[in-house]
Amino acid sequence: MLIKLAWRNLWRNKLRTSIMLSAMAFGLIGVVTMIGFMNGMYGNMIDNAISWQTSHVQVHHQGFVDNPEINLTIVEPERITADLAKMSEVIAWSERFIVDGMVASARSSRGVRINGVDIDAEARVTPIATSVKAGSWLPSEGRHPVVVSSKTAQRLRLKLGSKVVITFSDADKDVTGAAFRVSGIFSTPSTSFDDGNIYVRRSDLMAMAGIEGSHEIAVLLDDSNSMSNALAIMVRDKIRLITSNENSVRDWQQIQPMLASIIAQMGPSNAILLGIFVSAMGFGVVNIMLMSVFERTREFGVLMAVGMQKHKVFALIIFETSLLGVTGATLGLVSSLALVELLQITGIPLGNMAEGLGAFGVDTTLYPQVAASEYRYIFITVVLVCVLAALYPARQILKQRPVDAMAEKH
Amino acid sequence: MSIQTTQLRKTYNQDTDFPVHAVKQLDLNIEQGEFVAVMGPSGSGKTTLLNMIGGIDIPSAGTVVIDGIDICSLKDQALIAFRRDNIGFIFQDYSLLPVLTALENVEFVMQLQGHSEKECRERAIALLNQVGLGDQLHKIPSKLSGGQQQRVAVARALAPSPRFVMADEPTANLDAKSTAELLDIMQQLNEKEGTTFIFSTHDPRVIKRARRVIVFEDGQLTEDRVQ
Ligand SMILES: Nc1ncnc2c1ncn2[C@@H]1O[C@H](COP(=O)(O)OP(=O)(O)O)[C@@H](O)[C@H]1O
Ligand SMILES: [Mg+2]
Repeated sequence: MLIKLAWRNLWRNKLRTSIMLSAMAFGLIGVVTMIGFMNGMYGNMIDNAISWQTSHVQVHHQGFVDNPEINLTIVEPERITADLAKMSEVIAWSERFIVDGMVASARSSRGVRINGVDIDAEARVTPIATSVKAGSWLPSEGRHPVVVSSKTAQRLRLKLGSKVVITFSDADKDVTGAAFRVSGIFSTPSTSFDDGNIYVRRSDLMAMAGIEGSHEIAVLLDDSNSMSNALAIMVRDKIRLITSNENSVRDWQQIQPMLASIIAQMGPSNAILLGIFVSAMGFGVVNIMLMSVFERTREFGVLMAVGMQKHKVFALIIFETSLLGVTGATLGLVSSLALVELLQITGIPLGNMAEGLGAFGVDTTLYPQVAASEYRYIFITVVLVCVLAALYPARQILKQRPVDAMAEKH
Repeated sequence: MSIQTTQLRKTYNQDTDFPVHAVKQLDLNIEQGEFVAVMGPSGSGKTTLLNMIGGIDIPSAGTVVIDGIDICSLKDQALIAFRRDNIGFIFQDYSLLPVLTALENVEFVMQLQGHSEKECRERAIALLNQVGLGDQLHKIPSKLSGGQQQRVAVARALAPSPRFVMADEPTANLDAKSTAELLDIMQQLNEKEGTTFIFSTHDPRVIKRARRVIVFEDGQLTEDRVQ
């Protein structure tokens, strides 16, 4: 009966209630889409960073981390790779021979990181092979192929088949160089990554350097949860157990601490968004409830006169505001869910913004993401704020004696 | 079982330069089963008196004792429960809940007492039939005429089986026919179930039917006669 009464009371002023519900619904659509957009953007940034740059776990020589010297190769890499082959969580790994050097065309030259990779292994760990826009990924045949980014190609005025000269300091600190031919041109979501990396075969690079080995082992795990590094930590610790402590084994959040801080600030920043919305909504609800309760002061007086206990009067008001909250939140979240689902199909084209965000490794089309737990959290927050907003008007009414309430003009 | 007031006083705006003495030093005794009309001109303090003996207003001084209980000393919760179980109100403007149907308005006050839904429904229908609204059960108050609303209010006041019914100018908005019908109902209940009725009025048609008439003037009792 109390709930029935509350529901009907809510709809006494249809216009007012409808306006409030619409405000809540539209506000929620805005907030949820915004949160979805942020989640999508940061999630995409992290996913891209993992798939392109950090993988899940990386092994280096301790010294190489601070000072990437050509002589600082990983100690006993074959023990690590033998172990990786036995781990079920591991999808693939890539051993890289990395040197910093120069790439020069007839026109110009640039400092780059030269990645010497095993062709197939690298293609399994990063999406590089599928990101080649022109030409093809490093071939196993042929003399000295190199794959450069479209940015580098543009800067150095390179085309497929163009010749470049790659130089760097070898193991004896002597400058060594060789001519390479562009076999493919790639482009990734991160412009800064594109700027700084070129790919050659590891064997070609080792031959030029005069030493064998690898500077980096990047490990890709079977882990789609980009918000947690739990699995990565587990594998990292397994590797640490079997490898020399001259090697450094790090999970992706250690390699790029910025990713960890992005994840850490997502919660609070979404909470702030939601906080701003619910405060605005809270004031709206306080206003509605004040009006609706005070214009019925007389009626509450009558209810108490005919024997309705104060806690029931209080419950009635709380039911009314809760129903408002539940209805508004449901309307808002169902519409938001529909919109987010739609945007997950169509994607949000970033247009002009894409260029700026490219530096942070964000795709040009975003897919908003909102977790079920976030919907739940928002729902509860909205209803809770509605209840809080009605406490003041409810208290004011309960303070009155029936006659005083009934004497009130409205 | 009775209502007793001793030295009952109500002063509005007590602490101002213009206090209004609505009820002055009233000693009154009303026994169970009486059918009492409180008569007096407008502003003489009738409503104030009914509110105090009905326990919805507190006196400035003096006591109201019902069945040996000084209701002025009851705590909020206890007083509300006391009203719920013992006193029915018929307000001058009916004061029905506008969002509930006639039937629900009557059921509601019984549900407050904790009766089962079935019990409430049956008694509410019986009462509404009794006041001649058997065919208007599912209409909300705004779809009913003034006389019909008044009768719903009567049914609501009687539904919790109160021992005392306070009716503040119950016929003020009714035509002659409705007035007669309403008085019939009240008198019938008074005789059959011994419900005590106390109503304020300045309607001579009502006064004629009362068995005891208390005349009130300027907050003071000027006449108390049994007819
Ligand atoms: N809430 C109030 N505040 C101040 N004065 C009031 C209040 N209620 C009633 N009065 C005054 O008390 C007197 C008695 O009022 P009331 O009991 O309503 O008389 P009646 O019901 O006989 O018309 C009147 O003078 C009225 O103006
Ligand atoms: Mg009056």
